[in-house]
Amino acid sequence: MSNLKPETPNLQSKKPMPVTRWDRLLGTRRNAVYLGACAVVLVVLLILPHMSLSGFVLTSLTTALLLAVRAQAWNFIGGYTGYAAFGNVAFYGLGAYGTAILMTKLHWPFFLAMLVGGLVATVYAVIVGLPVLRMRGQYFAIATLGVAEATRELVSSPQLSRLTAGPTGINLPFFRPAGLSGAAAAEAGSIFFYYVAMGLVVLVVLATWWLTRSKLGYSLVAIREDEDAAKMLGINTTWAKVAAFALSAFFTGLVGGHYAYWRTFILPEEVFNVRYTLEGILSAVLGGPGTILGPVVGGGIYDAVSTFLTFSKPFGIDLGQFHVTILGVFIVMVIVFLPRGVADFFGRRKLSWGMFLENVRQNRV
Amino acid sequence: MGILIGQSLVNAVLLSGMLALVALGFSIVWGVLKIINLAHGSFIMLGAYVTFTLFSLYHVDPFLTIPVSMLALFLLGYLIQTYIVNWVIRAPLLVTFLLTFGLDIILINLALFVWQGDVRSVSPAYAGTGLTLFRDPVTSQGVQVPYVRLAAFAISLVLAGLLYLFMSYTKLGRAIQATGQDKDAAQLTGVRVAPTYALTFAIGAALAGAAGSLISVMQPFDPNMGGGYRLRAFIIVVLGGLGSIPGVILGSVLFALVDVLVGISPLAPLKDGVAFAMLVLVLIFRPTGIAGKAFY
Repeated sequence: MSNLKPETPNLQSKKPMPVTRWDRLLGTRRNAVYLGACAVVLVVLLILPHMSLSGFVLTSLTTALLLAVRAQAWNFIGGYTGYAAFGNVAFYGLGAYGTAILMTKLHWPFFLAMLVGGLVATVYAVIVGLPVLRMRGQYFAIATLGVAEATRELVSSPQLSRLTAGPTGINLPFFRPAGLSGAAAAEAGSIFFYYVAMGLVVLVVLATWWLTRSKLGYSLVAIREDEDAAKMLGINTTWAKVAAFALSAFFTGLVGGHYAYWRTFILPEEVFNVRYTLEGILSAVLGGPGTILGPVVGGGIYDAVSTFLTFSKPFGIDLGQFHVTILGVFIVMVIVFLPRGVADFFGRRKLSWGMFLENVRQNRV
Repeated sequence: MGILIGQSLVNAVLLSGMLALVALGFSIVWGVLKIINLAHGSFIMLGAYVTFTLFSLYHVDPFLTIPVSMLALFLLGYLIQTYIVNWVIRAPLLVTFLLTFGLDIILINLALFVWQGDVRSVSPAYAGTGLTLFRDPVTSQGVQVPYVRLAAFAISLVLAGLLYLFMSYTKLGRAIQATGQDKDAAQLTGVRVAPTYALTFAIGAALAGAAGSLISVMQPFDPNMGGGYRLRAFIIVVLGGLGSIPGVILGSVLFALVDVLVGISPLAPLKDGVAFAMLVLVLIFRPTGIAGKAFY
């Protein structure tokens, strides 16, 4: 059956990385310049919460950071390994529920609960991954979609309602710093959650950086390029794929835990909403899958555009209720005109509008 | 007990007709275009809303609205394929997957905007009536066969038969088959690939529209109804083996049997989970489906 042949979702071109305008401009100082730029961004992000920003801006920034982590987490399995995983929201929801249950039933501290929530998602990814990662291409993609659906069904099922409270949802304790109350506590809370989200971004980027230099990372890229050849070379492909899936689940679960404590109320329909999967994938594709910083940048771009369209009332039209429709239109536009993400801009010798049409011409019938 | 088993079997058979219609459109798009159309569920949903609108505004009989929803979905499918999907059809799997997912959420949210999120239903005057078979003379209970489900079953079979005849005996149908088997060879013999793809996608959408119209008479629905049917269509196609109309029918009979049996067991709240486990088992142990390899 020809459809079982791996149609690897290989978004990288098989050509070696071309010498781009940017690389020539930067010359041998390339790495130093990139590192410096990262440091500047990091410092700006560190001091931003103390610029007396409004609560809305801080919330938007936190959302963007969380999206960046989810995009980068998807990148482990989708970008580096080339497996189109469409069920990451299962790990997000499990992380959220794990954290919420540990904090409300066992009164664990937040960070410990979040960590264990992430580990719950990781264990689940290993259990589910062993059978599901045997499939390839379209079969894997839709199987993960089914995993997410089944997980939501499981969490909201009446048999587990003593643990998960089913459709009524779970209320988490509020973030209460000692000695503060009212508006001061709320402000301290939003700064706290901002810094935790930022810490997660730094953590996931470092993990990716480590991955690209590790044996596991090379195995994953080999699997993406040609799984059978990778197997012939003695790579334990099953182990490598499960490891990438578990890594992806761990960080997605951490974000879920952060979300649960931040929002203080979770519902199965909310934390298992397929929108979270799609936003993560779109951000990774937008920024360039299989790169260290691409998904993070893509998450930032997507969130900025989506927040702007939702809240700014462009041309006097209130788009607030079309939040998810904007996501859909965004997906269609990016897929048609920029299927290799914004990294495409940097991979070219010359920039022109014709580039968009060239992308279309390459893939149309 | 005998009546319970009989009723379950009758339910399974009636369900399988509707499921076959749900899966047929999905199957031909997958088989010919080699893409998974994740917007298939929202096409079904739109079909249901076409029937709902005509029924509640103009009191048209729901079964008479089927040609209307098929035509509307045919046009929508043709336009979507020509102006959007054809542009990226040769891109890697992830791209088409993400694209059709994007289309799916656009359609669902437009439907939420137009028809609101309320649960709707279409209930004509004859909705509750039906035949009673094997009536027990003592308790006067028997196996119920609602007319609505019987009619839906018959219409599904007729449409599946028409599709089979169209694919096998018309020039257009054979062009579609040829394109599905080898795009480049078909092009060499004079088939224009882009319009053929558009036609295939449009037929898939029209079948989804018909399925939606039938579902609207049988059960309540809302704009999010499509996701479950999409997963079922996928499982049925995998069960039956990609690329054959008889395979789809076999797959839907099997699926309906399991579905009905799980429904009367204690596992009922985890229905979709069980169906999904079935999919994983089939893919692991018999990846070409139960009917084996075939093509349109």
